[in-house]
Amino acid sequence: MSSNTAAIAPMKTPAVGPGAAAAVPCHHCGLDCRDLVLRSAEQRFCCQGCRTVYELLIENGLGDFYRLGQSAGMQFQRPEATAQFSYLDEAALRSRLVQFDSEKLTRITFRVPAIHCVACIWLLENLPRINPAFHEARVNFARKEVALAFDPRRLKLGDVVALLGALGYPPDLRFDDLDRAPASPIGRRLWLQLGIAGFAFGNIMLFSLPGYFGLDSFSGPMFSQIFGWFSFALALPVFVFSAADYWRSAWTGLRQRQLTIEVPIALGLIAIFIRSLFEIITGLGEGYFDSLTGLMFFLLIGRMFQQKTYDRLSFERDYKSFFPLAVTRLRRGGMESWSNGAVGAKDNRSERSNAPTLPHASREERVSLSQLAVGDQLVIRNGELIPADAKLRSGPALIDYSFVTGESDPVACPAGALLFAGGRQMGGAIEVEMTRAVNQSYLTSLWNQAAFQKDDSGTLDTVINRFSRRFTFNVVGIAVVAAIWWLAAGDPARAGKAFVSVLIVACPCALALATPFALGTALRMLGRRQMFLKSPTVIENLARVDAIVFDKTGTLTSTGAGAVRFVGHPLSEIEERWLYSLTRHSTHPYAVRIGEVIAHDFFPEAVRSFLETPGQGMEAQISGREIWMGSAAWLASRNVAAESGKLEQGSEVHVAIDGRYRGKFVLGGALRPETDRMIQALGSCYELALLSGDNPRERERMAGLLGKSADLQFNQSPLNKLEFIHNLQRSGRRVLMVGDGLNDAGALKQSDVGLAVVEEVGAFSPASDGIVAASTVPQLAALLRYAQSVVRVVKAGLAISAAYNLVGLALAVQGLLSPVFCAVFMPLSSITVVLFSSGMATWLARRILPQPGGAGQ
Amino acid sequence: MNLETFRYDNRIVRAFAIATIVWGIVGMLAGLLAALQLFWPGANFDLAYTTFGRVRPLHTNAVVFAFVGNAMFMGIYYSLQRLCKARMFSDRLSWANFWGWQGIIVAAAVTLLSGFTTSKEYAELEWPIDIAIAVVWVIFTINLLGTIVKRREKHMYVAIWFYIATAITVAVLHIGNSIAMPAGWLKSYPVYAGVQDALVQWWYAHNAVAFFLTTPFLGLMYYFLPKAAERPVFSYRLSIIHFWGLIFLYIWAGPHHLLYTALPDWAQSLGMVFSVMLVAPSWGGMLNGLLTLRGAWHKVREEPMLKFMVVALTAYGMATLEGPLLSIKSVNALSHYTDWTVAHVHTGALGWNGFLAFSMLYWLFPKLWNTKLYSVKLANWHFWIAILGMMFYIVPMYWSGVTQGLMWKEFTSDGFLQYPNFLETVLQLVPMYGLRAVGGSLYIVGVLFMVFNLWQTARAGQFVPDVEAQAVPLRSQPAHVESGPIYKHRWLESRVVLFTVLSLVAILIGGAVEIIPLYLIKSNVPTIASVKPYTPLEVLGRDLYIREGCVGCHSQMIRPFRSETERYGEYSKAGEFVYDHPFLWGSKRTGPDLHRIGGKYADAWHFNHMEDPRTMSPGSLMPRYAWLLTQKLDTNSLPARISALRKVGVPYEVGYEQGQAQQDLAAQAAKIVTNLKQGSVESAADREIIALIAYLQRLGTDIKAVAPPAAQAATSTVNQP
Amino acid sequence: MNVLFILIPLSILLATCFLWAFIWAVRSGQYDDTQTPSMRVLLDDAPVAVPKESFDSKPNQTST
Repeated sequence: MSSNTAAIAPMKTPAVGPGAAAAVPCHHCGLDCRDLVLRSAEQRFCCQGCRTVYELLIENGLGDFYRLGQSAGMQFQRPEATAQFSYLDEAALRSRLVQFDSEKLTRITFRVPAIHCVACIWLLENLPRINPAFHEARVNFARKEVALAFDPRRLKLGDVVALLGALGYPPDLRFDDLDRAPASPIGRRLWLQLGIAGFAFGNIMLFSLPGYFGLDSFSGPMFSQIFGWFSFALALPVFVFSAADYWRSAWTGLRQRQLTIEVPIALGLIAIFIRSLFEIITGLGEGYFDSLTGLMFFLLIGRMFQQKTYDRLSFERDYKSFFPLAVTRLRRGGMESWSNGAVGAKDNRSERSNAPTLPHASREERVSLSQLAVGDQLVIRNGELIPADAKLRSGPALIDYSFVTGESDPVACPAGALLFAGGRQMGGAIEVEMTRAVNQSYLTSLWNQAAFQKDDSGTLDTVINRFSRRFTFNVVGIAVVAAIWWLAAGDPARAGKAFVSVLIVACPCALALATPFALGTALRMLGRRQMFLKSPTVIENLARVDAIVFDKTGTLTSTGAGAVRFVGHPLSEIEERWLYSLTRHSTHPYAVRIGEVIAHDFFPEAVRSFLETPGQGMEAQISGREIWMGSAAWLASRNVAAESGKLEQGSEVHVAIDGRYRGKFVLGGALRPETDRMIQALGSCYELALLSGDNPRERERMAGLLGKSADLQFNQSPLNKLEFIHNLQRSGRRVLMVGDGLNDAGALKQSDVGLAVVEEVGAFSPASDGIVAASTVPQLAALLRYAQSVVRVVKAGLAISAAYNLVGLALAVQGLLSPVFCAVFMPLSSITVVLFSSGMATWLARRILPQPGGAGQ
Repeated sequence: MNLETFRYDNRIVRAFAIATIVWGIVGMLAGLLAALQLFWPGANFDLAYTTFGRVRPLHTNAVVFAFVGNAMFMGIYYSLQRLCKARMFSDRLSWANFWGWQGIIVAAAVTLLSGFTTSKEYAELEWPIDIAIAVVWVIFTINLLGTIVKRREKHMYVAIWFYIATAITVAVLHIGNSIAMPAGWLKSYPVYAGVQDALVQWWYAHNAVAFFLTTPFLGLMYYFLPKAAERPVFSYRLSIIHFWGLIFLYIWAGPHHLLYTALPDWAQSLGMVFSVMLVAPSWGGMLNGLLTLRGAWHKVREEPMLKFMVVALTAYGMATLEGPLLSIKSVNALSHYTDWTVAHVHTGALGWNGFLAFSMLYWLFPKLWNTKLYSVKLANWHFWIAILGMMFYIVPMYWSGVTQGLMWKEFTSDGFLQYPNFLETVLQLVPMYGLRAVGGSLYIVGVLFMVFNLWQTARAGQFVPDVEAQAVPLRSQPAHVESGPIYKHRWLESRVVLFTVLSLVAILIGGAVEIIPLYLIKSNVPTIASVKPYTPLEVLGRDLYIREGCVGCHSQMIRPFRSETERYGEYSKAGEFVYDHPFLWGSKRTGPDLHRIGGKYADAWHFNHMEDPRTMSPGSLMPRYAWLLTQKLDTNSLPARISALRKVGVPYEVGYEQGQAQQDLAAQAAKIVTNLKQGSVESAADREIIALIAYLQRLGTDIKAVAPPAAQAATSTVNQP
Repeated sequence: MNVLFILIPLSILLATCFLWAFIWAVRSGQYDDTQTPSMRVLLDDAPVAVPKESFDSKPNQTST
């Protein structure tokens, strides 16, 4: 055993040649110490972090950590500065994180993904040794959580998180699943009910078996009477407590005059109970308490399994948190607002203070919503979504809240005002600081608002809901009819049995579960591959589509790749800087592309009265000059004649400064990779069409691509795109529109399924039914095939449950099924349907769709 | 925030460890002696104190309560402190428990060998010792629960639940089965009679096996196996389900020891069904243990402790599968009263309890003496010799069990018994009994290896009396304050459940107190008119039968099979045993069933047979009881016994024991002496043999008597054996 | 067979005590986490150096 009283002599010997050091594993985390070899008490460490943890442990007499698991420590990413977590101590956030708070004791539970072995449990549970302010630390290995209780007077929350980070176990501070209710109290109740039901069922079997073996032959009716009463005494708690949930939901259902699934089961229980009581009182027999408690026992086991499968399925990332929007974030560390050019970058990685000014472009980073935290500074450009409630720092804020409140006229906000999540910035780029964490489920729910809902009368879900509402009514009807039938046939025992088993065996939950589970899993599978659909019904519509309409720019062609040339008198440096500042404010693919080309580290100029008209162009005043960029037709309408040079290959963006024509940018539209293969695959079974707002220059290239039968339309304004789709639909076609969602929002809304193609852009059009990353467009054929197969899985699930119900009811009506058998059979059926539908959806995704992340740029 | 330091008590563990080894050897030697006596009657040394009848109960009590009992205490005292992160509740109680238990063992050894026994298997000890056992057991329970209450680890590991179940259930069982009416300092008669006594005895005996040999050892397995394998148990949730499944239903499995006896048919079937159901929880435990070694099997090669543990678990699995199969009526018809049962018992005892105790000792000694095991090679030698010993024990027993069972049942083609004389079946088994003795001695040799090994380990190491440890005390605050509607509902609900449980308990106690006296006297077992209480001489004779432990080899229960009615006579009815306090049905037929022996042989035959069995039936394995012919019958204890019997329900007239009983005794004795004289045998009337002959001649005759004579010694014709 | 009037109540009494123990255990949160306890049991402290006690010859003298 490593002697744990070794004196620590931290002596830093310089690295002993890279060769010798390479072979030595770090004592703490086991990785090879490549560049730097630090020594402490004749152990070698690969980095500063590992050594500090080693010394920390030895100081507090926790040397056994290394005895428990060889080099079980965690490899060190980068030690977080403690100031970093000070924001955790804000009252609002702290109250959401902490479970129990008093002035002497705070209880909090952290998710620590780094827990992986027995030594981690030992280390985390010995925190009181390291810092006496901790009262207690308990690890839950399965959920990788550690529950801490500490004295808030002597230890701040920020320090706790920092200490955990220092030990190599950084807590995962993801805020959006904070409001997931802790599961434990309900779980316990179910365990209790199940335990009592099991206890009663086992012991009542003892009292009912003699009845089976002919009790009265030897010791007279006295015993059967007493055994009957004992069974009754044992069955009472089960009837009252274990079945409590069924009574409650049946009662609430009845109060709203709506028959829920639990009603037939509750009826069955009452029937058995009364019949048994009657038999015992009159001394006819021992009653059926064994089947009553058996029934409860197996129902509760079924419910336990269902709850476990739901937890497991929902424990993975909830599909709502895949919102595939990207936002520009300024580097942390008290960044001055970039718009007024002052620079004081203090990058926290290197402690150097007066760092030279970083090139402007590197101070911005594109991050997905899930990585945002409170206190981040974001740049919101024209048309981009405000991801979370934020304080306006600078820039002309003109917020369109149509997405949230529905009324369309935008709201102007002064600097420092609070902007709400879901608003869209119209006009120039603004800079905001987040005051609340991103709540992705809120954003998705906004998107699913009724305003943008397409009528989904025909979808499977609505059909099932209508049917299941009547299902309970039918079941009770069948039960009564069966009972009457057997009573008429003069067999009351069989009537009772038939009545009860019909009520119990019928299981609508299989019907209700097949669709949500299959589609829910499918959504998650697609979400992981950056094809994000709004709601499950979109998958069904996708499966029924038979005509596809493409938008050219941004969908088939990728603007990001083509070459950009300026035709006309070469621009001066000042002019390029002006144009660059202008393009920074727009999310239009052309503007972004041009901005990238002419960027070469300019400071962006302050831009005033920025205005972008979708599909035409944008204008603004920069340092006193009026600058227009847009299509030739738009400039002509402002009587600026565009020089009609020869027709260039690719699309053009014309520039005019102070009303004088200056020249035009020509962007080559390169086709996306494998688009041709995708078109052939789709061409065979779908009618294809192309709508483009561009000039018809690319007609013959597109015709060659899409084939002769495709209908190509050019110079389409958003309005005629809408009409085109309307005519297609009137001719009986179900239309899928694939576009970049900027200037064809109306068309997307009109089509049966509208897919908006997004390329690292925050722009977001609520009218679309789904957002697809640009890189996944070539896999459109796979997406459609997957949608069709998932719908087949749903139909198969429904078929299974329908078959189960038919067989079950048929047997039950004849009184062949004993209630206990039904109790086993019924939860079994719903579990099989659940596992079948979610399992098949996952398996199909793995077979048809590309690997997640694999298809990234 | 205080980090308390405290010390674990290792002295008590060492004390129990040493006691385990000592009594283990004593118990096994007694077993070896009994095994020798079974094929070589000379080994009885013709002394009252060393005959098989008294050595067998000594062996069972020594192994079950001394060896396994001490091993259990050793394991519990070691693991409980570590699991609760607290020293034992009170050292004084610990040592009271230790010394009390060793005192009881010594007392048991002395009383059993001198013939003071209640004849009820695994509960042979007389009533003063029973009370002592109850007191010591309560001390242990207080110590156990006290430690749990002041524990520093919130979660109670599953092993602790097994210890609690053991403590509580054994207390209830022991008290339930030991209710007896004392008729002297070392003599008592159980309150129940015949069929009822049988059911209570086997409800106790099976659950003694369950809650003394299985539940605590499962708890020890759940602690020591993960510690030795350094692996968490395979599935902790399975162990929880396994525990509660076992506890809720184990209590009902008693009747499978009485299949095809006079027990009511539905009770037998009930016992059978529940025993078969018990395979599930038992195998749950075994699989959970064995699968814990997933990925750690290489350790089993090096670590002797794990070798023993694995074989222990496998033997547990075998025994708990064989048990339920044996309790199926059709299998039981063959195996009951044969050596197959002995094989089943020893698979469990030698395999499960023995091997697990050895594995604990091999793991604890290096820890207690803070050193390495003296010799791993020697431990491996012990392992292989012990397995060999076990095989040499069990296989011959299976072999003889099946042979016996089949020979008893075999008929010739024309419908007569193939082996009418019981002796023919016994002679067939002598070689197997010999092999069994070889197996037993190998097992003991293995134990001696272990003793030497552990002795050297202790000498090499340095005993660590108190191990220091640190832990955070449990805080009393609630985990999270509940408020609002949930809290009110929760408060009400906890009250309701608590209320129902308490009311159920109240009803049961009330019912029990009120019902018992009412039904105790008026037994609704259909009494047979002609069955009368025993005469005073027969009562004393019966007590001699109990004293000499005849029930160890002879049963008094003829089962309703043609093979048995052909061999013994009319099958035994429940009504015949209403005055049998205690019941003497027995559970092993090394010798023939005696329930219809009355009147089958002449008094003289019995006289000579008891003096030297081999004279009357050559080759018999029965020991000689020469001292019965010489020792005087103690009649002055008769009044106390008659009044005690009357209290437990035997209808002797009031005042019968003042004078009338002695006269009847003298008259009956005189008649027997005259019979002996006809058979040319001389004997005084006051010898013990006379009482024994009176009892033997009375056995099973009541049912044939037409006219109910007061006291009758039929001199039936002697039919040749 | 009236001994059952003692056996059955006694057994039910015993079983009910265990039922109450089960209810107490579930309610007091013993089974909230059903995996970590099996690992925590492996973690008791290494033997800390304790003042060596001279090898006492009397194996079972009563300690205070």
